[in-house]
Amino acid sequence: MYEEFKSHEIANVLYATGSDILTAYGEKNINISRYMCVNNPRYYFQVNDEYVKNKLKLILFPFLHKGRWMRAMEDDSSSFKSAMHDINAPDLYIPLMAFVTYVLLAAFFLVLCFCRFSPESIGVQFSTGLMCWLMQVLLLEGTLHSLGGGGGSGEIILVPLLDVVSYAGYTFVGAAVVMAVRVSPHPVRWAHLMFCGATLWESFCMGVLLVKIVKRILVFEVPIFDKQMYSTNKRNYVLLFVAAAQFPQLFWLGNVH
Amino acid sequence: MAKEFNVPPVIFPSGGNPAAPASGPQQRRLPTAPFQPPRSSNPGLPFLSFDISSAAASTSFSAAPQFPSNIGGGGIGGVGFDDEPPLLEELGINTKQIYQKTLSILNPFRINHHLHEDADLSGPFIFLMAFGLFQLLAGKLHFGIILGWVTMASMFLYVIFNMLAGKNGNLDMYKCLSLIGYCMLPIVMLSALSLFVPQGGMVIMVITGLFVIWSTRVCTGLVVELANCGDEHRGLIAYACFLIYMLFSLLVIF
Repeated sequence: MYEEFKSHEIANVLYATGSDILTAYGEKNINISRYMCVNNPRYYFQVNDEYVKNKLKLILFPFLHKGRWMRAMEDDSSSFKSAMHDINAPDLYIPLMAFVTYVLLAAFFLVLCFCRFSPESIGVQFSTGLMCWLMQVLLLEGTLHSLGGGGGSGEIILVPLLDVVSYAGYTFVGAAVVMAVRVSPHPVRWAHLMFCGATLWESFCMGVLLVKIVKRILVFEVPIFDKQMYSTNKRNYVLLFVAAAQFPQLFWLGNVH
Repeated sequence: MAKEFNVPPVIFPSGGNPAAPASGPQQRRLPTAPFQPPRSSNPGLPFLSFDISSAAASTSFSAAPQFPSNIGGGGIGGVGFDDEPPLLEELGINTKQIYQKTLSILNPFRINHHLHEDADLSGPFIFLMAFGLFQLLAGKLHFGIILGWVTMASMFLYVIFNMLAGKNGNLDMYKCLSLIGYCMLPIVMLSALSLFVPQGGMVIMVITGLFVIWSTRVCTGLVVELANCGDEHRGLIAYACFLIYMLFSLLVIF
């Protein structure tokens, strides 16, 4: 109880401060509520075993998903259903665990293949991973902004920040798989081939996943007042860019040295 | 030519107040050999007593060393050692409880959570120091790293568990740290074992796997039982604990 109270207080103070600062600089259009109030992180942890298993299958093989990509709404249409009831809901448990797994596997790989382990290397991997997560978040946010009508025209993107953070974090599932492939015992002459193959495969899967998610967000969750604001052509090119950006990112994550 | 040494006579106390030493510089005032601390009136105390009150009360000392009289009485205060609790109790270190809790961790199949309801940090501190010591014997100076990682791991588990458990999660940080510290016992044993087994070999990998699973099982069982609403997320919490102990085992095997 006290934690809820505390988080609301802090959120209110931050929101007031933020809006004061932005008003002073004349930026009235920016809707900062989605950045200031990281509202209800508890929603993203309402998971159970079955959801985790199915979501992992979805992330690793998104093209095999026969169901719909829509997120289910609650019965009174006020908010989305939680992750326990809807496989398309974002969550933060899987990204966090995948991130820690990736860091651990990277440390294992460093030891097994280079015989060079120091506890500082775990810190380095952690920072690199966080930077990559941040870049992914920026990429997705940039996509949503550019396709949602652009900045300055008053369009409001209603996707909460933690949603985007969680979608960006799904990359680490792919990265963890790539590291697991690298760590697993295999003949040395195939090592490079297996690494490249695994990275390409995972980048492709992540690309498909993110494209499908962003398309769903743009079509269903963003209120676009003028549907002709952007052309479908432009949208497709941007989505293609998002998918293509997964390749260098996963190569960077997998290239632990 | 024999030289005569002037050995001043040694006067042993014979009880009761001695005669006042003769004034005058010729007679050296020797302290009795050996130095007799003023005995307090309570014969059961093994420690030196520097109290003014007990010094004043005792009558059996004699020929007190001629130090300035304000030494030893000092500012320790007028409270005698009778009223103070024993040191370990004052520090909150209950050795019997630590021993019982340690024994309960040793059995991975039957988890007794009643002992752990009362969290304490001294047992984990002993384990972490022992862990650092075994690492030191292996040539790695990891004390700071171990303490830092334990702190971060317990914050991680705290956040994960309280988020997963929703509104009813009542695992507090102290209990979390205490549990993680106690369940570190298998890792400490692993680090002791690794001193005798060749490094990087297959044997140590297999043993590491077993001990990490032991730690995970005990930690998950305790966390789920103690914070009384994590039962449906057992697998999720188990994975988080597994990651934590895998991280520590990395320190041991490499």
